[in-house]
Amino acid sequence: MAETPLHEPGLALHIEDLTVAYQGAPVLWDIDLDIPPGVMAAVVGPNGAGKSTLLKAVLGLVRPSAGHVYLLGRRPRRMLKRIGYVPQRSAVDWDFPTTVLDVVMMGRYGQLGWLRRPGRETRERARAALAQVGMERLAGRQIGELSGGQQQRVFLARAMIQQPDIYFLDEPMAGVDATTERTVVDLLQRERDAGKTVIAVHHDLQTVHDYFDWLALLNVRIIAQGPVAEVYTPENLHKAYGGQIPLFEGGRKARGQRAAGAGRAPEGAEP
Amino acid sequence: MMAGLGTLLGDYTVQNVLLGAVFLGIVSGVLGSFAVLRQQSLLGDALAHAALPGVCLGFLIAGARSLPWILAGALATGVLAALTMLLLIRRSRLKTDAGLGIVLSLFFAAGVVLLTYIQGQPNAAQGGLDTFLFGQAAATLRSDLYLMGGITAAALTLVAALWKELKLVTFDPQFAGAIGLPVTVLEVVLTAMIALAVVVGLQMVGVVLMTAMVIAPAAAARQWVKRLGAMVALAAALGVAAGATGSLVSASGANLATGPLIVLTASALVLGSLLLAPGRGLAWAQLRRWRERRAIGERQVLATLYRLAAAHYDPAYPTELGTLDTLYGGTPRRALRRLERRGLIAPVAHMPHEEGPHWELTEAGRRAAERTLEGNSGGAG
Repeated sequence: MAETPLHEPGLALHIEDLTVAYQGAPVLWDIDLDIPPGVMAAVVGPNGAGKSTLLKAVLGLVRPSAGHVYLLGRRPRRMLKRIGYVPQRSAVDWDFPTTVLDVVMMGRYGQLGWLRRPGRETRERARAALAQVGMERLAGRQIGELSGGQQQRVFLARAMIQQPDIYFLDEPMAGVDATTERTVVDLLQRERDAGKTVIAVHHDLQTVHDYFDWLALLNVRIIAQGPVAEVYTPENLHKAYGGQIPLFEGGRKARGQRAAGAGRAPEGAEP
Repeated sequence: MMAGLGTLLGDYTVQNVLLGAVFLGIVSGVLGSFAVLRQQSLLGDALAHAALPGVCLGFLIAGARSLPWILAGALATGVLAALTMLLLIRRSRLKTDAGLGIVLSLFFAAGVVLLTYIQGQPNAAQGGLDTFLFGQAAATLRSDLYLMGGITAAALTLVAALWKELKLVTFDPQFAGAIGLPVTVLEVVLTAMIALAVVVGLQMVGVVLMTAMVIAPAAAARQWVKRLGAMVALAAALGVAAGATGSLVSASGANLATGPLIVLTASALVLGSLLLAPGRGLAWAQLRRWRERRAIGERQVLATLYRLAAAHYDPAYPTELGTLDTLYGGTPRRALRRLERRGLIAPVAHMPHEEGPHWELTEAGRRAAERTLEGNSGGAG
């Protein structure tokens, strides 16, 4: 503990004055965001609100114009081995020649270090993670043959074998089937109950209440943040979405209507 | 024939060319795999064309046709071109293809200008510099081979040492960045190694056709394999096969240019792989479609016979061929013959002959039709 003093170590994620701009146009403006450990937090906002950029800035994948990020009191660069990242499925070419098991093992590359090849221990961890997401029988499958939901579960398994303290997920429920959505939510909630922090960019306002206990509403700026019950109000949603989604004017929708709700394409329907 | 090959292989020049082609095949197959998977196939093209001004500069500096100088120059301008491209794409609104196109033509134009300048000089040593445009394999010396072999060995060592990092950066650069891999450094290493591969190929196939050696073996290999390791190994093998075939055909007396022959062989391998590779090949896909169409046709005929029988409350209702003709706008004779061969339908023998041929469902055919109509596709498959 002789290193640099910790900054806000009591917070899983602490962001100060973060601004990110692409070619002059701000994508994120003066973000201050605190997320306590042990919660399952959703980052929600309209298209172009900068949700993915926020995650990438936290992980150091895009360089901010200003601001600081701390994870459990440390700079993200020093925390990489304690972070599990699930990128958007569309970020990779699924025609890449490799197997499901191999992709999951990539989760340990950071821990393995240079020049060392993944061995039997890594393989066993990967198989265990695949069993947890219900895909142990597809371990040898070519990744190009997976459905959208299966792809998402492979990515989750890859993050899980990192054994992270904080999960960052980019749209984990986008375009997946109902079974996968249930599996992903159950696993993430179990991780949260084990003391891990889960931070997910989420697109489906209607499930926020059921899945998450913490909410950050984002539209270039932070609109509101806190426990879902406090933040999920018609006024805040209106402020974040600018009234573009009359569907949500009344706040939460009834369960019956939700089944047919938008943003839940059936499996395989996405490109 | 064997004696002919033996004589060929005993020839000193042929040995040199063959070895050079083997090195080229290995290095371009291995590094081309990464380029193709990163969807940067044309990077090789830009790097190869950008090598021409370097070739000329190397010649000017050395004052003679010295391969080490020429290749060093080629590597330098190749890397410079790659960096320029990266800068253009990152800092301007140009997309990758536009950036590639601009850099490629700019550097190539500069190269041609330098080339014509050198050719105008009263220097006897400048002879043959233009062979770097299309390569001149026969000019390969034993000392050139040491250089090419050294580059190949270095590239292979680097790929082996950085295997899992290069794989991850190629597959999922965002995740690679998130676990702390130096993504930009690794991408620069890959690009620099492709520039090295190009340099190996300059002498053999020249700057214009070098891009084919980067793309073709990798693209062909991708069709056959399911793992990156297998793809890289197969791409190297195909590269060697193309190199050896091209140089041997060229050496066998036909007096045809080696480099283009190598490229033609590699392209033939790509064509064959695109057509024939199991699972991914176009020929198999066509065959699959044709089989499906046939199975659906059979199922339709079966279902029609079944429905007609059901409508007449007669399991053995004889359906007239003419009825099917009208229904399908043409006789499904081949479907009928196949169904008969599988014992699902039978011709009705005891009809008066002026009524024309009739068909009825057998017991097995009835069961198959029922399964089909229940939505179980196993019926006629």
